[in-house]
Amino acid sequence: MTEIASKLFTWVNTRLPIVNTFERHLSKHPVPSKVNFWYLFGALAAVTLIIQIVTGIWLIMPYSNTEEQAFSSIEYIMRDVDYGWVIRYMHTTGASLFFAVVYLHMFRGLLYGSYQKPKELVWIFGCTIYLAMMAEGFLGYVLPYGQMSYWGAQVIISLFGAIPYIGESLELWVRGDYYISGITVSRFFALHVVALPLVLIALVFLHLVALHEVGAGNPEGVDIEEYLDEDGVPLDSVPFFPYKVLNALVAIGVFMTVFSIIMFFFPEGGGYFIEMANFQEANPLVTPDHIAPVWYYAPFYTMLRAIPDPLGGLIVMAAGVAIFFVVPWLDRSKVASIRYKGIYSKIAITMFGVSFLTLGYLGTVGVTEVRKTMSVICTIIYFAYFLLMPIYTKYETTMEVPKRL
Amino acid sequence: MTSIASGYKIISKVIISVLLLFCFSEIFAAEGGPCKDYGECDKFKYSLNDTVSLQSGASTYINYCYGCHSLKYSRWGRVAKDLQIPEDIFFDNLVFDKSIKPGDLMVGAMPEESVNWFGVEPPDLTLVSRYKGDDWIYSYLRAYYEDSSKQYGVNNLVYPGTAMPNVLMSLQGNQRLVCKDIPIIAKNGGEKRDDMGNTMYEKKCGYLEVEEGTGKLTKEEFDKLIYDLTNFLVYVGEPIKATRERIGWYVVFYFLIFTALSSLLYREFHKDYNRKEAFK
Repeated sequence: MTEIASKLFTWVNTRLPIVNTFERHLSKHPVPSKVNFWYLFGALAAVTLIIQIVTGIWLIMPYSNTEEQAFSSIEYIMRDVDYGWVIRYMHTTGASLFFAVVYLHMFRGLLYGSYQKPKELVWIFGCTIYLAMMAEGFLGYVLPYGQMSYWGAQVIISLFGAIPYIGESLELWVRGDYYISGITVSRFFALHVVALPLVLIALVFLHLVALHEVGAGNPEGVDIEEYLDEDGVPLDSVPFFPYKVLNALVAIGVFMTVFSIIMFFFPEGGGYFIEMANFQEANPLVTPDHIAPVWYYAPFYTMLRAIPDPLGGLIVMAAGVAIFFVVPWLDRSKVASIRYKGIYSKIAITMFGVSFLTLGYLGTVGVTEVRKTMSVICTIIYFAYFLLMPIYTKYETTMEVPKRL
Repeated sequence: MTSIASGYKIISKVIISVLLLFCFSEIFAAEGGPCKDYGECDKFKYSLNDTVSLQSGASTYINYCYGCHSLKYSRWGRVAKDLQIPEDIFFDNLVFDKSIKPGDLMVGAMPEESVNWFGVEPPDLTLVSRYKGDDWIYSYLRAYYEDSSKQYGVNNLVYPGTAMPNVLMSLQGNQRLVCKDIPIIAKNGGEKRDDMGNTMYEKKCGYLEVEEGTGKLTKEEFDKLIYDLTNFLVYVGEPIKATRERIGWYVVFYFLIFTALSSLLYREFHKDYNRKEAFK
């Protein structure tokens, strides 16, 4: 029996590079021996992506993408489908936590310079993933066809209308109708379950291929390829499998514990993960008291609101996302890690973090005069972090980076 | 610690505390609550394992509310099963239309022309506890008061101008808005007294008070009735809620064990780690 199995394996392996791939990307793939918790969010993002895909497939089965039945089919899933509620709550909780881990993953990148040469492409693929996620999340949020689905989509799609000349026709083209309707729902459904997941999976693949080509970073910003042993293996490295996989497994355990606490005890996330208004079926005649986006779009929504002019707001919001793409060329520092960067970089990243969180909070609440001023200030700080980066990273005094990990 | 690092820490601390101070004072300024003129909503704590309460709530709902408000995502048989009411008793006593089967949705008993009666179609209430919240329902149903300027002679503090008449008035009695003499609170937190040592009062209005002897139930009994009704609406908003919270403990426990075992495995692998061997 074992002989047959091993023969079969050899047969396959001579035709498909199983052992080679396993060794190259897992068991003999060197990764830095010393990293901290910040380096675990990539693995967690992968886990959430898988959760979203698997639960998504099962949600498609009972979901109905028509105007009449979209909302009631969600309640059908919650009540009549066996364990439908588990699948649905996993998907809603997963969506929020996907963004949470990706935000932390991105912040790690900014902290430790994970975009610096030669990792520019890894970073750019990552930014594209984030962009695709934002689109994917938005499309998915419309599908339950609740009040917030409807009015959120109304606000976001009308943004296209602010673009000069082509705006109105573009708006109509995206919506497929003169107002949000079953046509919008069914096309968003197609994009949400087929088009964007394909794009996301392809991008994640490229993100990982590029990462494995240039090698993972570390919080010290040390290049582990500088010191190799006689076999050409970096001295400060461990094989990815099983050592880093086990490390990730512990992180996954902690993450899934948090995941289950939210999903089983606070699935609405205090109205931030599932907004209360979305338990009411979409009603084109009644506008909700205040239309707030889900928390993960909130910082950018605040930027949009901070600018009085719709087109200006749209440009600022788009720039807020787009600016991440050019970070590799904004950072002129000799060192990668915040540990060895100068005082200005440290102040800048702290200010950036605080302003991003404040923008996020402001996006979920109503507008007052003070909040409006605060939105403008935080938007300025947000952009200053990026736009002044070439200056403060170039002229600050950095510290000596150690040779080894 | 280098001077740069400590300088950075001090500066960042200053920046953060200034921002936080600013945030807390202005940004978090309270907005008008969901309970409007009622002020803070009364807190409601559901008890989904209290079957008696749920049964009584279901009975109140079907007798007083179901005539106008459907529960169209919920099924008759499911309610009977979850509330542990034997199906024959449930259908004999609570289901008035004998053609209804256990698998049918609770689509309501309201004729089409109902819109003309109230100006709006009475909403379906399956999910009301999820989009209004249980605190809101519990407060709303107890905040009706006499107001002759309105169509049905009543108004509501939680939902001013509500289109719904107070269908529970025969139970609650006639509730009115009254003014009361309230002791003035001094700056030190105690009651303010005049020179003679007598407590000083001021007139404050907007208090709800039931005219004695006008309702079938006492205040406590009525509050309990509304508690049970709200509890039932919490149940019907998410029938799986009690099960979800029960299963949750097992899942969390499972993942804690998972975490513990995987960290033991991690430690085991790292104990006798040898780089040369590892890369072989």
